[in-house]
Amino acid sequence: MSKIFYDRLIVLEDFEKELKKKTSSKEEEFELWNLVDDILGHKVIDMILEKLPLKYHGEFIEKFVDAPFDEAIFDFLKEKIGENIEELVKEEIGDLAYNLLEDINEDKGKE
Amino acid sequence: MRKAPAKTYEEISQNKVGFDYFRNKLKLKDIEAKNAFSKKYPHIDKYMKKKGISFEKIREHSAKILGAGALTGTLLLTPPSGLEYLPTPQEMIGKLTDSSKPISDLPQKTLIDLLRNFLPERVRALSRNEEKILEQMFEEVMGIKAKANLEGEHLNTTYGLIGAEQHLKRYPGDGVSNHGEGTVLKEGIAPGLGAWGYFAPSKEKLTPSLENTEKWYAVVQTLYLPDWNYRQPFLRNWYKYRKVLIVNTTNGNAVVASIADSGPAMWTGKNFGGSPEVMEYLGGPRYKKGPVIVFFVDDPDNQVPLGPVEYNKVNLPLVSMEKG
Repeated sequence: MSKIFYDRLIVLEDFEKELKKKTSSKEEEFELWNLVDDILGHKVIDMILEKLPLKYHGEFIEKFVDAPFDEAIFDFLKEKIGENIEELVKEEIGDLAYNLLEDINEDKGKE
Repeated sequence: MRKAPAKTYEEISQNKVGFDYFRNKLKLKDIEAKNAFSKKYPHIDKYMKKKGISFEKIREHSAKILGAGALTGTLLLTPPSGLEYLPTPQEMIGKLTDSSKPISDLPQKTLIDLLRNFLPERVRALSRNEEKILEQMFEEVMGIKAKANLEGEHLNTTYGLIGAEQHLKRYPGDGVSNHGEGTVLKEGIAPGLGAWGYFAPSKEKLTPSLENTEKWYAVVQTLYLPDWNYRQPFLRNWYKYRKVLIVNTTNGNAVVASIADSGPAMWTGKNFGGSPEVMEYLGGPRYKKGPVIVFFVDDPDNQVPLGPVEYNKVNLPLVSMEKG
């Protein structure tokens, strides 16, 4: 069950493996997951709002707050943006995943 | 020999240093992302604040809406006089099978057909009515009493995707080579511990029952339960090694497993996890992810054994996969 409409586009398996190595309890793991999830949420919505004409911002955020899980939000975005928004979201998530992996690998040097 | 006071840093594990460093880095990134967002989109920020919703709580908010939706659906669909108008599993079975052949000949095939006709194509939270029909269906076909809601507890979702997990360390010093042989060793062993720590304090104290608990373990998203943080330690104890029935909705294979870890993260798109043995039984050695139903086993006297539910006379994973 997706909780957020873009969940199915999130692929962070490699990062997740590295993250598990960093943590020694589930609580620690979830703390980091939640931080990443929060950063990811801001980045994705930011990217969407950048693409979406200002006049539709209100309608979009209303839909998002009313039903964050509703994948039909993509239909609305496709119609208003006219680009393959799913692909753009995937790219945004991919960039974040790359940066996170870089951070975590850089972090290895600090140990 | 006592350690010199100046070298107490040696006691701090390397992982802990890595964790703290990375957490701080993520916290900084998070603050930066929040600040940049508020500055760039003050109108959105204002709207969300007015609604009392933040990005940190968006999943919780989403889960609440979904939960309320399932409840509303139940209230709207349930006839005032109870469940008498719901199709019974027997009626459904009758509709879907050749009445000249007894059901018991191919119970797994019957279940696959029932599930295929009954379940939505994509995984989602089920309504109470849907769950009740499935509970009856499983009891009728498999002989296992399993409940979506047991003793007032309910998972965030009972129909979701399961993913492959690694073995868990059962005692200090445990390694993957101690976990059997063959393909189930391929997944390796998790670097950290399960949500309830080691199963036993030492190898000597690992009982066959605990060994079996790790072998047939399941992972559910306890940390995403809306009441997880404020109903402690009750929930932690309630979920520890709680038996669940996991049914692969594609091929009907079913396993009784015990909850021994918490996860997976929401972003993985998965809702549950299974030990290498659980996954291999559910879908074969290359099975990594797929749709399942997960219900609590109603087993107050601890009579239901962990492991495969052999209700089927013929295992049909390939047949059903081809059909699917």
